Amino acid sequence: MSESPLLKLDQATIQFGGLIAVNNVSFELNKGDLFGLIGPNGAGKTTCFNIITGVYKPTSGKIFFRGRDISGVPSNKIAQEGICRTFQNIRLFQALSVLENVVVGGFLRHKTGLFSGLTLLPNAIKETDHLREEAMKLLEVVNLSHVANHRSADLPYGMQRRLEIARAMATQPDLLLLDEPAAGMNPQEKDELKEVVYRIRDEFDKTVLLIEHDMKFVMGLCERIFVLDRGLEIAHGPPEDIRSNPKVIEAYLGEPV
Amino acid sequence: MGKFWTVRIASVVAALAGCFIFQTVATNLGNDYYLRLFLLAGLYVTLSVSLNLINGITGQFSIGHAAFYMIGAYTAGILTRAYYEQQPLLPELWLVIMMLAGGLFAALAGLLVGLPSLRLKGDYLAIVTLGFGEIIRIVATNQQSVGGSYGFSFGPKVVAPWMVCLLAIITIAICRNLLKSAHGLPFLAVREDEIAASAMGVNVTKTKVAAFVLGSALAGAAGAILALNEGYLNPDIFKMDVSFLILTMVVLGGTGSITGSALAAIFLFLTIEIPRNIQTADGQKVQITLASLLMAGLAIAIAISLLRKIKDHFHGPPNQRLIRNLGVIGGSIAGAIVLSMILNATTVMGDKTFEFDKLRMVILSIMLLVVMLLRPQGVLAHHEFSWDFVKRLFRKDHDDKAEVAS
Amino acid sequence: MENLLYVWAGLEFNFSTLPQQLVNGLITGAIYALIALGYTMVYGVLRLINFAHGEVFMLGGYVALFVSWGFGFSPEALQKNPDAQSSALILVIMILVAMAACALIGAIIEYFAYRPMRNQSRIAALITAIGVSLFLQYAGQIFLPNSPPPSIAQQVNPYQENLKFDLISAPKETRDAYTAAKTESDNLKQQFETALNGRSQFDDTLTDAEKALGTQAQEAQNKVSALEGEIAQKSVGVTITVGKLIMLVTVIVLMLILRFLVMATPAGRAMRAVSHDFESASLMGINVNKVITFTFMLGSALAGAGAMMLVTFEGTAIHPFFGLQLGVKAFVAAVLGGIGNIPGAVLGGFLMGLAETLVVWAGYSNYKDAVAFVILIVVLLLKPGGILGSSKVEKV
Repeated sequence: MSESPLLKLDQATIQFGGLIAVNNVSFELNKGDLFGLIGPNGAGKTTCFNIITGVYKPTSGKIFFRGRDISGVPSNKIAQEGICRTFQNIRLFQALSVLENVVVGGFLRHKTGLFSGLTLLPNAIKETDHLREEAMKLLEVVNLSHVANHRSADLPYGMQRRLEIARAMATQPDLLLLDEPAAGMNPQEKDELKEVVYRIRDEFDKTVLLIEHDMKFVMGLCERIFVLDRGLEIAHGPPEDIRSNPKVIEAYLGEPV
Repeated sequence: MGKFWTVRIASVVAALAGCFIFQTVATNLGNDYYLRLFLLAGLYVTLSVSLNLINGITGQFSIGHAAFYMIGAYTAGILTRAYYEQQPLLPELWLVIMMLAGGLFAALAGLLVGLPSLRLKGDYLAIVTLGFGEIIRIVATNQQSVGGSYGFSFGPKVVAPWMVCLLAIITIAICRNLLKSAHGLPFLAVREDEIAASAMGVNVTKTKVAAFVLGSALAGAAGAILALNEGYLNPDIFKMDVSFLILTMVVLGGTGSITGSALAAIFLFLTIEIPRNIQTADGQKVQITLASLLMAGLAIAIAISLLRKIKDHFHGPPNQRLIRNLGVIGGSIAGAIVLSMILNATTVMGDKTFEFDKLRMVILSIMLLVVMLLRPQGVLAHHEFSWDFVKRLFRKDHDDKAEVAS
Repeated sequence: MENLLYVWAGLEFNFSTLPQQLVNGLITGAIYALIALGYTMVYGVLRLINFAHGEVFMLGGYVALFVSWGFGFSPEALQKNPDAQSSALILVIMILVAMAACALIGAIIEYFAYRPMRNQSRIAALITAIGVSLFLQYAGQIFLPNSPPPSIAQQVNPYQENLKFDLISAPKETRDAYTAAKTESDNLKQQFETALNGRSQFDDTLTDAEKALGTQAQEAQNKVSALEGEIAQKSVGVTITVGKLIMLVTVIVLMLILRFLVMATPAGRAMRAVSHDFESASLMGINVNKVITFTFMLGSALAGAGAMMLVTFEGTAIHPFFGLQLGVKAFVAAVLGGIGNIPGAVLGGFLMGLAETLVVWAGYSNYKDAVAFVILIVVLLLKPGGILGSSKVEKV
């Protein structure tokens, strides 16, 4: 069976001035993968996300999604294609309620025109109600339905991270990119998060690419791991191989004495 | 007929009734001057709410709204002068056509200004919108075909208070509908975080341009009403001050709050217009002594600093806080009156007088500063008028009793 | 260089007046630059458009006016004693008092209006700034003399003589003809004077020959005047009053002092640190409040100096709204150069001054006030951070 990969990075490179943040990175994701992207600080992980989601245009190399070249396509088009992300430094719509944050994600698939919205025609009302219901369902998945009407800025940190996931899920992506979803969480919250990620993959049938610092978390969650250091690939494979890979150990712990 | 249509028809009827009342009140003011004030206040509601769409809801820092108002007005003026004679229509119908034309041209200008906003943010955008307003005004000042700085007149004058009211209602309805439906969320999302909005699939470009086009079109329609109401236009009507006034209305009412913008528009407009006409019984201009002026200033300064102290450092129950606030306000007013009465008896400060109507802009600026220093999020902050709130207000004592009983 | 007048697309470009216009532009630009510095420094540390800066400038003008009145140059005093003499010392005192007063006003505005707004949204802070600006304008209209707008008495400025610099001289034959005509005219005049021998030239006792000599002398004199006009037309030069030259030099000196203050003193270093990162700077033990007050005082003092020089050397009349237009233009200049960037403000100011006078030169003097904004929009669209500013990439 030779199904084409869902996402393929082909020698993606991006340069800011003299700094090559991502250097010739290539990897492939198949549908249903739970793929981890790890590396020390400044390795270029988030920049990878940024070039996949169209925040930056790669200097060279290509990115294919479902076989189509999406390098340099604007962010909002990429979200429509079916890739959505969360942010390392949480970027919620702070003044909006938790529910509204998720509805913004769902609005991507809206069908009524702006005119219906401005005149509040029945189809716009119906669509708004529908989007709200869908958003509520997602909030239940991430255990946030009880705070649906709170201002999102007022939520504690862990909840904000989960809300970001729900918001991204609302765009109905095929590929979900999670940027350090477990950062700043305590062990119990991390376990809950793990459950959520599994549910997203299994129940909602999504492919997940995540960046994480917590090795234990990634090793326990991901089926394949890609290790970046200073923009370059240093390892790629299942968790067991990564764990014992000397280059990875060196990148994280420095050279053995 | 479902619930939707019942509600919709009811609101349209209510709106028309509102216009009718407005019309009746306006025509019974019995004084052309007051009629004009009444109409202008209505136009400022449209201007302020439409700027709120750009500034408050979409978060695009536009501070040159008078430009779109002016474009609408000049479009209507020029077209009326050129074509009305050849095609005499029912004046009201002509007004509607002019509103559409003014709105259209202002929308095109909005598109023109909206486009740079794709690249510019915050203060940079602000200064570009301000500059755009100035350019338009200077160009008009130098066009002899529209009378340059002396302006030009045209006929017929169409005084239609109901149309002023209708436009204000339409503007408010559009903004409110936008916020009620999911279509408003992309606008809010762009305000909150452009990058995240874009990552969620919001077309940031389209949203910003839509806000600019819509907001400008409404201001343009208001301009057309102004033009036909006055029958005369000149560039000085649309100076930078007008832009600042509209912006002040938005901010004072609470950025993003439609109710706030609308109420602040009426309130502020009256604050600067009414003092113009206050007269003593024998038709003299009201004079105010230097002593009273200085004491009023002193009282305001002291009251602000005390109120800020209470706001920041007092953590007691709300009613205690209210009592303290009222105490400060009452105390400073009383103190100012007593002190100024004493000082008025002296020759230096009691003899020098100023005309009260010259103070109106000073009062406006002080009010602005007071609100900003005490409640920077605006009087209504992000709150909106809602029937639920009214219901709660009336039920309040009810609930209190219930609480006491239980 | 026979013909310096070029006509293109219906416009007349007279290149012989260009150098003069450029010099005028430089002087206007110097004032813009001085005000723009205040905007840019405040924006640098607070990210706030200090709308009231134009009004500080206006107040600086009034302070200079009042100081000159104090030295006996008020309209009433001048009526009694029209021969009052000014001196460099008086001018120095005027500029110092204006600078000190403006610095104080700047610090007061910062303390009472902007400091409480520091943790509020940017739009709230901007509205406060607009409020302060409106307040100063309209309160000024009540309390400050403004109808008719007063201006500083001419006598205050002792440096009014013109300096003339020739860039391109008239053709040699014209100059030679002039010299020859001049000699001849002088000669004839001399002869006529001798012949008159103390009598009036209309005296009845004049003989016909003597009258003819008089006519001849008159004709020679006319020829000299005609040639003088021709020389003026064909030569290209620049005229500048000594006062304006002093003004230009002072502006440059002030800018150098500012540069020294910002680059080489601890206060300047603190200022740069705050403008780089407000929060880190305060964590590093910098007293942010002090730095901000210092910045406001510095910017306002420059505005005061600019105002004093403008009203003294250019003789501009002062009224409470006179800071508004200048302030907006100077702000545009700051944005043009890249707001928050000190050399950018200087560059933007000079560019703006030059652009304005070029527009006047090209015959569009009515559009002088619009050109600032047109340039601004064009520059911002091409380079959103301004000419010297860096458009920061937002970190995601």
